[in-house]
Amino acid sequence: MKKTFTALLVALPLAFAGSLPALAHKVVAGAYASGDHIEGEIGFSDGTMAKNQPIEVRSEDGTKIGETRTNEDGTFTFKPTKKMVYIFHADMGGGHIANIRMEAADLPVAFASDAAAPASAPATPNAPAEPAKAAAPAASATRMSESERDLLLQAVSNEIKPLRKEIIALKEKDSLQSILGGLGYIAGLFGLWFFLAARRRGSN
Amino acid sequence: MHIVDGALSAPVIVVGSAITVAGIGLGLRQMPMEKIPAAGVLSATFFCASLVHMSIGPSSVHLIINGLAGLVLGWAAFPALFVALLLQAIFFGFGGLTVIGVNTADIAVPAVIVYYLCRPGIVGSSPRVAAIWGGVGGALSIALTTGCVALALSFSGEEFIPAAKLVFFAHIPIMAIEAVLTAAAVYLIRRVKPELFGALATPLDAARPLGVQKS
Repeated sequence: MKKTFTALLVALPLAFAGSLPALAHKVVAGAYASGDHIEGEIGFSDGTMAKNQPIEVRSEDGTKIGETRTNEDGTFTFKPTKKMVYIFHADMGGGHIANIRMEAADLPVAFASDAAAPASAPATPNAPAEPAKAAAPAASATRMSESERDLLLQAVSNEIKPLRKEIIALKEKDSLQSILGGLGYIAGLFGLWFFLAARRRGSN
Repeated sequence: MHIVDGALSAPVIVVGSAITVAGIGLGLRQMPMEKIPAAGVLSATFFCASLVHMSIGPSSVHLIINGLAGLVLGWAAFPALFVALLLQAIFFGFGGLTVIGVNTADIAVPAVIVYYLCRPGIVGSSPRVAAIWGGVGGALSIALTTGCVALALSFSGEEFIPAAKLVFFAHIPIMAIEAVLTAAAVYLIRRVKPELFGALATPLDAARPLGVQKS
């Protein structure tokens, strides 16, 4: 009788552990440059997306600089105006908060080069002919691909999107190893407690 | 049910952590040695139960089983649930290390309340009546937990009533499931190993006669 009970007690957690796929109770969010704007998505780690979720766009010091909203599929877009750190903050209620930090270096390429252009522009007129010559082909090359660049960026971002999703899903997967590891820790910790309690009683 | 890092204000975290530290202290002190393995098993049960998810509306909820932990363990539910929450935070990133005190208090305080409210009904009655009390305890502990979470959120800036409503309604299915689960577990324990409930009636004194009885 006692054995049956012990077996049942052991089986109970194992049964839960076995009921995979185990899904984390976590907010999953990410943002990345796409074309000339920032694209991101917010959802829960069980695969549901945060629909029509208002998002506050903040600067590094926490001041609000704009807002956006997720679509039906949990994605949102935001057009940056300055080269700076953007923080996307969404509060889904019930203690679920997403904070996505986007570094200035990760901003859209077009945007980053726009910001870089004024810095290099004043240098070119004053500079001797040699560097100007070197710069000219590069400049014309970028101008030529200007029309194609958007297409290229679009294509690359479309290619990467599924990968990105897969990596997020992979990160959120609770592997059986960590579940068993956690159970092992629990067994060990309570074994230690049991040991200490037994020793204390023995010394009494 | 896990509140994440950054969702709570500092005073809430301090108060929650203080409650948890006090609860763990009491739990460790009051625990008879015979109950420690049971605490471990319930800790493991909670650890795994939190991985069983259902998505409801914008949020997703999971089993908690803190009612059963409270009914069996009393104050010792604090250390048992704390250990499981700590490991969940480390392994799965549920909740977070800074808010672990609040998360522990949110689920362990209802467990202790249920222990005081429903335990007498379980100890002194037939297994059937005990199962009903167990069901009540299972559902009540979830309801109280949603209240605690809403309270913690409301002190951190969210409006209490909408927050409480959101969390409470999302957990109604969980309440039903846990009522059935806890009732079944209590019924089983009463039939198979009634000492598990009897031994803690007066924790420190009851432990010894039990040990003698067994040997």
